[in-house]
Amino acid sequence: MKYLATIAAIFLLAVSMRAQEADTLATKSEVQAVKDAVDGVNETVLGMLPTLQALAKIKFTGYIQSQFQVADSDGVKGFAGGDFAAGLHQRFHLRRARLKMNYDNDLTQFVLQIDVAQTGLAIKDAYISIKEPWLRTFTLTSGVFDRPFGFEISYSSSNREAPERTRMYQTLFPGERDLGVKIEAAPESGPLSFLNFKGGFFNGTRENTVENDNNKDFIGRLGLSLPFDEANLSVDGGVSMYSGNVRSNSRAYWTMANSKFTVDSSLTNYGKYAERTYIGADLQLTYDLPVIGGMALRGEYITGKQPGTAASNSFYNNGWVTSPAAGTPLYMRNFAGFYINYIQNIGMKNQFVLKYDEFDPNTDIEGSSIGLDNTTSANDVKYTTLGVGWIYHWDANVKFTVYYDMVTNEKVYSGTKTAALYPFTNDLKDNVLTVRMQYKF
Amino acid sequence: MKKLALLTLTALVLLGSVVSAESITVKGSDTMVILAQRWAEIYMAKHPGTVIQVTGGGSGTGISALVNGTTDICNSSRPMKKGEKDKLKIRFNSLGVEIKSAKDGLSIYVNESNPVKELTLDQIKKIYTGNFTNWKQVGGPDAKIILYSRENNSGTYVYMKDNVLGGEDFSPSAQNMPGTAAVVNAIAKDKYGVGYGGAAYAKGIRMVGVKKDASSPAYEPTAENVKSGNYPISRYLFMYTKSRPTGAMKEYIDWILSSEGQEIVVKVGYFPVK
Repeated sequence: MKYLATIAAIFLLAVSMRAQEADTLATKSEVQAVKDAVDGVNETVLGMLPTLQALAKIKFTGYIQSQFQVADSDGVKGFAGGDFAAGLHQRFHLRRARLKMNYDNDLTQFVLQIDVAQTGLAIKDAYISIKEPWLRTFTLTSGVFDRPFGFEISYSSSNREAPERTRMYQTLFPGERDLGVKIEAAPESGPLSFLNFKGGFFNGTRENTVENDNNKDFIGRLGLSLPFDEANLSVDGGVSMYSGNVRSNSRAYWTMANSKFTVDSSLTNYGKYAERTYIGADLQLTYDLPVIGGMALRGEYITGKQPGTAASNSFYNNGWVTSPAAGTPLYMRNFAGFYINYIQNIGMKNQFVLKYDEFDPNTDIEGSSIGLDNTTSANDVKYTTLGVGWIYHWDANVKFTVYYDMVTNEKVYSGTKTAALYPFTNDLKDNVLTVRMQYKF
Repeated sequence: MKKLALLTLTALVLLGSVVSAESITVKGSDTMVILAQRWAEIYMAKHPGTVIQVTGGGSGTGISALVNGTTDICNSSRPMKKGEKDKLKIRFNSLGVEIKSAKDGLSIYVNESNPVKELTLDQIKKIYTGNFTNWKQVGGPDAKIILYSRENNSGTYVYMKDNVLGGEDFSPSAQNMPGTAAVVNAIAKDKYGVGYGGAAYAKGIRMVGVKKDASSPAYEPTAENVKSGNYPISRYLFMYTKSRPTGAMKEYIDWILSSEGQEIVVKVGYFPVK
């Protein structure tokens, strides 16, 4: 009996060992299968890696600004996001809807930005940028991009605290951009790292228009940046210059003398280059106020000569005409303007904004002399704007802005015989309240 | 009209003055995450009224969170760049406050069985830029070098690129791991792997001695060598805040810089700042 039991036990043990061996073999086989699968996945991932790395270089950013505005009176013409249509003084308005694509290959960049707001599709930026690899200090940029002048142009609309740029900037640099080439020098380290320069040559025709003369305009800014980290204070600033020309397509060339425009109608004025010169200085201070939050004080002053027309003191971009009689008379104005902007962060989410700006498009005439004769117009009237606002940052993407622009114009000669100037004998009712919501990513 | 403006402004001010709950969020460097968690655990045990939430994600992620206002303190194993400070300046009108909270020797990890004991900075550069691909080129066995690296949001990645690779790109064959712990785990299993990261993570692997150049002696990232500056790739571990810390945050940072907070630095495996 014992003998039989021993045989049975040996038999069972042998069967069990055989089964265990088979299990081990099966497990080994399964492990190998898993290892092969992982190797396969690894190989696939490695194959995809160059594609993924290339895609990681493409960055999309964008923002939408949607707002409601109320003006003091119907049909207000202004610089708070464009004129109100005749007969209305309030509106919903899609101010900006931007999408920017940036292929960032470290030393080279491709940038394309479009705006699809109510005015239709527009190209805002389209440029190539190349940084030299040796010093990593000099960058060459070519295409359509911000004109390198002052501070307010390059300060993005999505970051700017006031809803719009000042009247001065909108007049001198409408659209902010131009087509050209620029060099930028910004040493990353060393004794000159506090200095930066950007300057280049441009068509002088704004962002989306074709060149209309053989002259190229120089625009440049020499800046400094002094961070005092220990004090949490920074001082930034610069001096800027725009040196360009506008070709007259008319014989009539108007200049100021004795508080009125006088005309020179020599035939040689047809094709003559009129000087467009802006000189500016800007300064920005930031300081972290304990407990309350950071504050910024920014200011900028620009003066110069602006070729324009009887109907506009803005950046003039005339086309060439084959007959001087068909041209538009050129009006030369000396101008000056400045702004001061105070921003106070309050805690993490709130900002208080106060901004004062002044722009005199024609410094050779006082308000009381405008309208004494029929050569001067509303385009010679000085404006001041006091803006006050509050920004609430809902989260990292969304912010709300409430901003009130109080606009004051110079009063013109009360006995003017020019009908268009009658309203300017008093302060126009053109204050504007803007309530804006912005989403940025 | 002016009344309407005033009313809207007041409404927004009231909306903005809603006080947020007092807690401290800490985000950023994976190199620092163990240290930051230890600091938080011990501090919260001693200060039950304070809640500190610590997450990693990488120095770049932490800095972005600081700029976006989604963290109070950012941990970073590299200094903030000028462009990042500019973003902080735009949003908060502040340059940020930099606090050196610990020191680290950027360590080069190899498998324990790897016979290579030391490398010069130039050899490390050549390995990681893909110019050296076989261990025998640096005195090791005839085997392919398997590179483990970090993702580009890592401060350690940026430090390595800027200070060891001289700004050159990493070899495309380098495998990007999600954290230092993942690098260490991979090398512990890979006989021919090489990686880099904080000294505190070196468990189950070996750190090679690093030589400034071929004629210099090799140093390991020990407290002595990091403090004396002999170890050629030592760095500070930073904490950044948007503005000067006040209240509970100031108390917490003061504690981190105190002898008690710095003792934890040593226990975790890094080196004190003083």
